[in-house]
Amino acid sequence: MPAHHPVIPAELPRQNVLTWLRSRYFATRRDAAVTIVFAAFVAWILWSLIGWALLDATFAPNAGEVCREDLHGGACWSVVSTRWRIVLFGLYPFEEQWRSAIACIVMVIVAVLSCLPWFWSAKRLPLLWTAGFAIFYVLMRGGFFGLAEVTEQNWGGLSLTIFIFAAVSLLGMPLAIVFALLRRSSLPWIARTMALVIDVIRSLPLLSIMFTFAIVLPFVLPEGLTGDKLYRVIVGYALFFACYQAEIIRGGMQALPAGQEEAAKALGLGYWHRIGYIILPQAFRNALPPTINQFVITFKETSLVTIIGFFDVMASGRAASGTADWNFAVVEMYVFVGLIFFVFVFSLSRYGAYLERRLGVGRR
Amino acid sequence: MTEPAIRIASMHKYYGSFHALKDINLEIAKGEKVVICGPSGSGKSTLIRCINRLEEHHSGVIEVNGTPLDDNVDNIDEIRREAGMVFQNFNLFPHMTVLENCTLAPVLARKIDRGAAEETAMRYLARVKIPEQAHKYPGELSGGQQQRVAIARALCMAPEIMLFDEPTSALDPEMISEVLDVMVGLAEEGMTMVCVTHEMGFARQVADRVIFMAEGQIIEQAPPDQFFDNPQNERTRTFLSQIVGH
Ligand SMILES: Nc1ncnc2c1ncn2[C@@H]1O[C@H](COP(=O)(O)OP(=O)(O)O)[C@@H](O)[C@H]1O
Ligand SMILES: [Mg+2]
Repeated sequence: MPAHHPVIPAELPRQNVLTWLRSRYFATRRDAAVTIVFAAFVAWILWSLIGWALLDATFAPNAGEVCREDLHGGACWSVVSTRWRIVLFGLYPFEEQWRSAIACIVMVIVAVLSCLPWFWSAKRLPLLWTAGFAIFYVLMRGGFFGLAEVTEQNWGGLSLTIFIFAAVSLLGMPLAIVFALLRRSSLPWIARTMALVIDVIRSLPLLSIMFTFAIVLPFVLPEGLTGDKLYRVIVGYALFFACYQAEIIRGGMQALPAGQEEAAKALGLGYWHRIGYIILPQAFRNALPPTINQFVITFKETSLVTIIGFFDVMASGRAASGTADWNFAVVEMYVFVGLIFFVFVFSLSRYGAYLERRLGVGRR
Repeated sequence: MTEPAIRIASMHKYYGSFHALKDINLEIAKGEKVVICGPSGSGKSTLIRCINRLEEHHSGVIEVNGTPLDDNVDNIDEIRREAGMVFQNFNLFPHMTVLENCTLAPVLARKIDRGAAEETAMRYLARVKIPEQAHKYPGELSGGQQQRVAIARALCMAPEIMLFDEPTSALDPEMISEVLDVMVGLAEEGMTMVCVTHEMGFARQVADRVIFMAEGQIIEQAPPDQFFDNPQNERTRTFLSQIVGH
């Protein structure tokens, strides 16, 4: 057992706060002037924001009338406290919304669990996500275990956004790995075809791909192969995701020294063992920052599905503040939706930063 | 007469239009220790890498323990399991601990259960004198320790032949002997060894035969005493004087 080294905090020379402030922000007359002007400006903005968002705001539900007559002009969070269910669950039947809530919580738990290093193996991670996704689907869709059936047309809000994001990731990631492997196939015609496919799809706007899959595909494919519009959009989106992610993975592979694969070959490891235990784990480590980035973008761009007529969290927010009695509170609703996105995306990128630090230690 | 461990006949290898190995004929008996030397770029690495198909030869025959190296993937995997290789740059897997490095291939390619594989691995790690490093990552070890792990990793597959490609060239001078000691021990136990190295002391001590290569050809081969004390070929003499020179 290695001895435990107590963590000794580095002893910083005790510096007077005033000296520090002076040397950094008030060193010269001009510095001082700039500092004062900026500080005043920031303080003013902060004060107005706090006033609007908190001090003068109306929080109580069903207080639309109060908001309208409010002379201070504070935020009307009443729109959120009255209509938040639409934002989270869309048109999902009111009595069944607890299912939607639990489903979302399950997916969030899955996301949190997959942050634990214990789950980082080629077997556990896919298993965790598939299981979580299955629970999510059964809860949302129902029709089993005495749960009333709720078809995809009635899904909406945050739960739809999470569903699309999870489905795209779950479908897109294995596809990306396959694409990346084909892209570096030793057979030139396979590698070149794959490169062409990836480049073509990457050069198309996501929106046009979604349109193609949602609206054009039913005319092309035979009846019975088309599936629900939602799933067509998800497949199209997953394809788009896979093409970007495949290039990210390939970049991670190229950063590996050739000796890694040679050593694995020399030990008699077959192709899939080399890929699964030597190449991919290291490629993903190398490609972690752009991979997290890709997830962030994918989460944010789920809101494009509104254009094809789905009520994701963005569209639901707009609908929630779109009625005649709430249309003055559009800004508050967007702030709320923005906050939801922020919570998800910010935690994702903080987690990415943590991973980078963690993997950078002792393992390279 | 038993079959040789390695038999190479009329073997040629090209990189594009560059003729890297020219008409190589070589037989290595079971238990024999062969040292290959020669100037940089003479094809030593290419030759040794052809033996386990890290490079593909273009014509001629290579047989390892009687199994021919051809496009039969099963033969290739079989030969790779029989011939362990140690590289100049160690090529340990940086994302796995030392112990995981040593057990991965036995578990996956030899289907040995994990407990037994770990036991074997600890035995070999003890033999290369670093059992206490088993749970560290390669990045935490010195070069000499890493190379000893690489040797242990290869031995865990219980190979009949060991191929070394300049195993001490990337090491700081003070670490060379700890690796050579392990290799000498291996030789004394009767392992068949093919070793590209310029460590002439090692060659004198353990080699049955020293082979000199230049420009993709085997120029001269002889037992070490004869090779070092009475080289026949002019190029061998020049080469030896250069090595001894520094
Ligand atoms: N992958 C390769 N592609 C093209 N040429 C190569 C490749 N590997 C080696 N060579 C060339 O083959 C010759 C022999 O190389 P190598 O076997 O590495 O020499 P040595 O190990 O004796 O220094 C050198 O001229 C080298 O430039
Ligand atoms: Mg070489």
